[in-house]
Amino acid sequence: MRRVVPILLLCVLLPLHVASLRSAGSAWKALPQGEETAYAIPAPILKLTALEFDGLASDFMFLRALVFLGSTFERDNWPHSVKESEWRGLYRDLSAATDLDPYFLDPYYVAQASLTWDGHLVRETNLLLEKGIRTRDWDWMLPFFAGFNSFYFLQENEQASVYLMESSKRPGAAPLVASLATRLAVKGRQTENAVIFLEEMLRNEEDEGIKKNYRIRLEALHGILALEKAVELYAAKMGKPPASLQDLVAERVIAKIPVDPYAGTFYLDVDGSVKTTSDLREAKKKPENDKPQPQQKTAQPGKDAAPLYELPF
Amino acid sequence: MSLWPVAAVTFLEGIRNRAIYGITIFALLLLIAGNLVAGMIMQEVGKVMVDMALSTIALSGLLLVLFVGINLMAKDLDRRTIYMVLSRPISRPQYLFGKFLGMVLLIVTTIAIVSLFAVAAIQLTKITYPDYFAHFSWASIFLSIALTTLSLILLTALSFLFASFVSTSFLTLVLTILSYLIGHGINDVKALIEAPQQVGIQVTPFTVKLVQGVYYLFPNLSLFDIKTQAAHGLTVPLATIGWTVTYGLGYTAIAMLLATLIFSKREFP
Repeated sequence: MRRVVPILLLCVLLPLHVASLRSAGSAWKALPQGEETAYAIPAPILKLTALEFDGLASDFMFLRALVFLGSTFERDNWPHSVKESEWRGLYRDLSAATDLDPYFLDPYYVAQASLTWDGHLVRETNLLLEKGIRTRDWDWMLPFFAGFNSFYFLQENEQASVYLMESSKRPGAAPLVASLATRLAVKGRQTENAVIFLEEMLRNEEDEGIKKNYRIRLEALHGILALEKAVELYAAKMGKPPASLQDLVAERVIAKIPVDPYAGTFYLDVDGSVKTTSDLREAKKKPENDKPQPQQKTAQPGKDAAPLYELPF
Repeated sequence: MSLWPVAAVTFLEGIRNRAIYGITIFALLLLIAGNLVAGMIMQEVGKVMVDMALSTIALSGLLLVLFVGINLMAKDLDRRTIYMVLSRPISRPQYLFGKFLGMVLLIVTTIAIVSLFAVAAIQLTKITYPDYFAHFSWASIFLSIALTTLSLILLTALSFLFASFVSTSFLTLVLTILSYLIGHGINDVKALIEAPQQVGIQVTPFTVKLVQGVYYLFPNLSLFDIKTQAAHGLTVPLATIGWTVTYGLGYTAIAMLLATLIFSKREFP
């Protein structure tokens, strides 16, 4: 008889517990909340509070960045739906992860894969890579990445050449890196150099998602390269540059104009360089830009990077 | 020598303590979690797994020192069983060192067990993702475990020093936790204070002197933390290891000697 009362009470309290947790949980969700990536803890404080678990804290910060990046793939119109402040938040998290453990490769890797192409934080990425280049002094990939960014995004060939020289000195560097470093000092041949860079990056990439990205970019660059060579040929043959790309086909310099894998159309700009319509908005942002910016407004999110973040559970 | 019986009793008492099972199960769960987390990493799976394993070892050792070690020492004082022990033909220093020796044995045994699990977990991850262990070295992992063990022994000695003059085990616990926190922060704080312009803070000369004083008073536990180096398979110079071990043993000896001096003079109510 004595047990009946507690059991009865439990029978009442347990459903109440479930119901109250549900209501409180959903009510809590409705409260105004700060953005996930809005705060960044300064590195010295992080190092201090991590006690002897710096490495673990670094892993945690990296996973936080990774989970956030993965969550943005769910949005429509990726990567343009990701706000600049969110890219900056991602950069801060990756920066914190590498402050805690500057030898940790993955944050540099993710920064290179997402912050440059999609987040347009190229200078910040190179700043991050600098840290890795200093600490991981056996790794040729990081200076290679920084060199690519300097050359491709920032058009700073001299700086790119410096990075590549550093890269070529390190064990395991492809022999190509050294010759690329010297080539960069020579003006022009931008597209050709970009092709060489991307082919090298593709060769060293194991992740299928990133590989796919590189291949599409490479295809676009190959198209532009072929057209640029054809324009040169046309000028040599006819004694004057073509008025439009259609002239190339008309004079049988090439069989047909290649297809832009980013769904744009190639055209000849007034300055004589080959461009593509899928790149128009980017070209306005960077006036001196004479090369394609392969990421464009209709890029498909799933196709772009989803396989990077396949989780094992 | 009446050191060994005390040590043996302490060790057995520690082994019988249920907390050890809890710590071991906790460590196992952490290692399983580590295995899952390592699977989410793209490049340096090995680094993350070693991080998890070494941190698990350090954390279980810390729990052991704080919640088993302090109890073993302080229980005699709390429950007044110390009267019975001291009425035996055994000197106070012998009692204290015996207890300490038993505790060291307990730490080494527990770390060995948890390390066994950790090594198995690392090996398992290594078999699952063999391509992602580029910079990896068992030697630096074991070196890191050894230094962690030494830092735990040092912390135990410090807790004995506290127990020798405070009245309750709770106070000893609080003081030991504080020393642990200070011990792991002092290196970074000292670096900050000595180069404040880097982070844009201002410090008074008094603060600098204070921190430098604290630096010599409290143990610098950061010295024993080579987990990052171990995780990346980097070599640590032999001289660094030598000085760290010397420092650890020296600090432990000083703390134990002070504890003996205070404990010998102590009057029990």
